[in-house]
Amino acid sequence: MSSPPTSPATTNGEEPLVKKQKKNPSQIPLLPDDVLVSCLARVSRLHYGTLSLVSKSFRSLIASPELYKTRSLLGRTESCLYVCLRFPPERNQRWFTLSLKPNNRTVANNNKSSCNLLVPVPTSNYPHAQDLGLVAVGSNIYNFGGSGPSSVSILDCQTHTWHEAPSMRVKQYYPHANVVDGKIYVAGRCIDLESSNWMEVFDPKTQTWEPLLLAPLERRRCTYSISKSVVIEGGIYMIGGDIGVVYKPREGKWEEIRSLEELGCLGVSYCVIGNVLYCYGSRNGIIWYDFKIRKWMNIKGLEDLPKLVNCDCVVRSVEYGGKIAILWNKYLRSGSGYNNKMIWCAVISLERRNSKEIWGKVEWVDEVLTVPVSCETVFALSATV
Amino acid sequence: MSSNKIVLTSSDGESFEVEEVVARKLQIVGHMLEDDCVINEIPLQNVTGDILSMVIEYCKTHVDEEESEEAQTKLKTWDEEFMKKFDIKTLLQIILAANYLNVKGLLDLVSQTIADTIKDYTPEQIREVFGVENDYTEEEEAEVRKENAWAFDEADTPKP
Repeated sequence: MSSPPTSPATTNGEEPLVKKQKKNPSQIPLLPDDVLVSCLARVSRLHYGTLSLVSKSFRSLIASPELYKTRSLLGRTESCLYVCLRFPPERNQRWFTLSLKPNNRTVANNNKSSCNLLVPVPTSNYPHAQDLGLVAVGSNIYNFGGSGPSSVSILDCQTHTWHEAPSMRVKQYYPHANVVDGKIYVAGRCIDLESSNWMEVFDPKTQTWEPLLLAPLERRRCTYSISKSVVIEGGIYMIGGDIGVVYKPREGKWEEIRSLEELGCLGVSYCVIGNVLYCYGSRNGIIWYDFKIRKWMNIKGLEDLPKLVNCDCVVRSVEYGGKIAILWNKYLRSGSGYNNKMIWCAVISLERRNSKEIWGKVEWVDEVLTVPVSCETVFALSATV
Repeated sequence: MSSNKIVLTSSDGESFEVEEVVARKLQIVGHMLEDDCVINEIPLQNVTGDILSMVIEYCKTHVDEEESEEAQTKLKTWDEEFMKKFDIKTLLQIILAANYLNVKGLLDLVSQTIADTIKDYTPEQIREVFGVENDYTEEEEAEVRKENAWAFDEADTPKP
């Protein structure tokens, strides 16, 4: 493959091809965009941060609808972790996504070098987001009530652009958004307590809202604000203080939840994976809730997971392509105090061996971002891109 | 079985005599044969002999796509070994040929191999391999580097 004149681009060539050669001195065959897309679509999204730095044309190619169509046709869509951070006193939030650093040189030079990193999402005009009003459906992250009590904005994770969606019909403060069968159920603290629109349903396919009418009895229960919500087996569990309701959209049924002590311990760091509720805390590590016997259980096989010490604090746990991603902060001592902290991330695959045992396997643990101590984690979630 | 032979000629005048079934794996040839069945010599303007010989090798191996799991596994192993023979520049020439000659299986195979190869490349290495010009302006590049310091080795990043 060394003799230059055999290259197809130069065979018939006189004038124009000579010009091309100057531009392309090493006889590199230039790939047409559709062939390039066929290659890039097969690269994991974790590498797209690096690819976007190659050139402007590469950057627009990896944000192009053609590329994502190809990924989808090839069955190459994958879960991508997004983290929303705030850096006070800045009011604006910033979004980051998990990426892999190009490692063929760094690994050779330094084995300790971190390859998993949170990199800034290249988008401007971030609307304000509120943690529990964020939910991902496919490749879109929906932000309910973030920049106003009825506002809805969408982060398109393919192109990393924000756009507006139809507003909620009712003003909701601190709304909780949950997804069942592709529809988003939004409930929160209504300003109007008599409102029968306490919960509204958004259909991402038609981009339309529908109210969910409640019977008076349910309405009384629901006027309390929700502090936690999760979806398990198609039921939306909404808990506020020591009371709670479950709404099962498939059956159109409301049920009261009794004895909530066990769920009361949910901090900010909980998620549902395969209909199992997981919680990550500094005291117990990762635990899961067995609804049958109403008990929290330990996950087996997690000896490799670093133990949190002293002032480390748990940030979030996230469903990440059927695995659990956990994020925590580790404070970095500098001189007399702490100026920075490091966000750590671990990805753990889960395996249910029988009705009583769930085993975890730590796939990787890495420091993913260093931030000022004052940085706040607003939320973390995965989109399918 | 028909033993009809077709002669494929590369841009640099090299000729390959292949079974018609093999030649039909090149969809561009398949279409030509459908249009006019008396052709028995086909010139292929955009592909050189050395690359065409590799495409033909692939097509010969994949000529009977057997359904059985065993045959599939065997083909997969062959594909892997076949791909190992080439450096990235040759892979780019093969993918261009597969695209021009319309050999879908080979296009997919090489796409995957290129994807696996470039995933750990730095932006600079990718530019070299694909002959892509860095079209960021100086200011844009400085901005991009500042925003994306994570992607560059410390040595690459200009000191402020």
